[in-house]
Amino acid sequence: MTVKFGIGNKRLRESTLIWFLLFPSLAVFLLYRILPLAWNGVLSLQFWSMYKPPRFAGLYHYKELFLYDDVFRQSLWNTLLFMVGSPIGIALGLMIALLVNRPIFGRNIYRTIIFMSFPVMTVATGVIWLWLFSEKTGLINYFLMYIGLIDHSQPFLEDFNLALPSIVLVSIWQVVGLYMIIILTGLQNIPPSIYQAAKIDGANSWQQFWLITFPLLRPSIFLCLIIGIINSFNAFDLVYVMTGGGPGHATELLITYIYKTAFTLARFDYAAAITVINFSLFLALTWLVNRMSGGNAGAVETN
Amino acid sequence: MRRHSLWATHLLLSTTCLVMLVPFYWLLKTSLTGENLFSYPPALLPDNPHIFYYVDAWYSIPFVRYLLNSVVVSAIVIVANIIFNAMAGYALTMDFKGKRVVILLLLSCMMVPYQATVVPAYLLTKELGLLNSHLGMALPLMSTIVCIFMFKASFAAVPRSLIDSARIDGVPEWQIIFRIMLPLSQSAIATNVVLAFTWSWNSFLWPLIILRDDNMQTLPLGLANFLSVVEDTSGALYAFCIMVLIPGLVIFLLAQKQFIQGLTTGATKG
Repeated sequence: MTVKFGIGNKRLRESTLIWFLLFPSLAVFLLYRILPLAWNGVLSLQFWSMYKPPRFAGLYHYKELFLYDDVFRQSLWNTLLFMVGSPIGIALGLMIALLVNRPIFGRNIYRTIIFMSFPVMTVATGVIWLWLFSEKTGLINYFLMYIGLIDHSQPFLEDFNLALPSIVLVSIWQVVGLYMIIILTGLQNIPPSIYQAAKIDGANSWQQFWLITFPLLRPSIFLCLIIGIINSFNAFDLVYVMTGGGPGHATELLITYIYKTAFTLARFDYAAAITVINFSLFLALTWLVNRMSGGNAGAVETN
Repeated sequence: MRRHSLWATHLLLSTTCLVMLVPFYWLLKTSLTGENLFSYPPALLPDNPHIFYYVDAWYSIPFVRYLLNSVVVSAIVIVANIIFNAMAGYALTMDFKGKRVVILLLLSCMMVPYQATVVPAYLLTKELGLLNSHLGMALPLMSTIVCIFMFKASFAAVPRSLIDSARIDGVPEWQIIFRIMLPLSQSAIATNVVLAFTWSWNSFLWPLIILRDDNMQTLPLGLANFLSVVEDTSGALYAFCIMVLIPGLVIFLLAQKQFIQGLTTGATKG
């Protein structure tokens, strides 16, 4: 009897310790992930105001979003266009990764330099590129005129058609190093014996790429796709600094529109509804990418 | 490898590096001369570099205050991350009831980018009374799921017999953690430090939302503010930009290995 009691007591002590150890992290995630997510859902179905108790609104905000709000439609479209830019970045990252994977002199230096733009503060990146894109004194305009591609200065960030592609370009510049590193890790995990076998069977390097390298890189590439999707959330900093969503709403993304609606117009309920759409879009795309990759893109090894 | 293909590789990579480096170079050059603010065509090499713009920036911006705020927030985030993640990672190496639920919960939290929850997170922080505070800025970043799993993996790699013999010798659990586990998981700690630093140092949207007080602004906010005040034709802006970039770049170059390791283990921001 006493022995049994002793074991039970020890169990209890151990499980108390375990939950005590887990508590801080779980508290952070409950407070800043789970709870806000649920609250956000509720908020999007309410009329909310700083001074009155909230009232139930049903789908009122969603109706407004889809039927009357042109800016929302524009920013949804822009967000999708922004995501379309990521495959271009991934293709570039893949090419660079293949190059720096070769046994050449100084490849570590190449890797470092190409990766260096990723950890740089996005706000500073925005300031730098704002300056490079400048209409009158910008380096890009100067360079394009010098090589004769354009014959007069383009106001890249003030032009309705050029502003969004310009920001997508900067975003690719910033994240291409990360794509490179992820694909490089994938490349290094391919056993060299496969290539040797293929060589013996007479496969040329083109066939080796499409039949061996590319299929085996699939998990890395899909991981990059998911990062590209998340990146459209992180693009807030760039848009805020470089265009502020303008001209008009040509560079408005869902995340910048959420920010403006909530924190300059104080329409928290409406912003919550946009957030729900944004998050659903994110989940749907991630699910899609995950399915295409065979179900484990971006999986963390938990064991 | 054939010779001409070798040269082609070097050529392509050098061009790529040039594209990656030119923006930094241009920034540095403008901050030192300011010449192409006014002159056209722009000169490629700095002519007569001077530090006037740095002095200008130093006196027109409360740089030390911004820096201090950034450092305080990053310090809170880094310390909290190591302690909390190590604790949670250690707990996950043991078997207990509800472990599967906890892991599932953590993995699904990874699917929630914190940007997707800013609106209620703001209201919540207001309820907690943490608007306009360092703690409020740090709180959402205080634990990172990727790093929890990294700690778990490195703790799990510590030989079981070592821990068991320590337990038999009557070493208390907290000493097992601090004297045996942590020293053996240095690489997880280093990676965690670098990642936590980068995310908190560069964090912009969250401080932008919860700060109202000028005295609390961090470096990225200060930079964005300065841009809105001076327009883009002031050399001081670019000097400020360089001053903001240097700490991050130094840390990156020093801890490149940990940084890359961390990003390729988890890759998505947890």
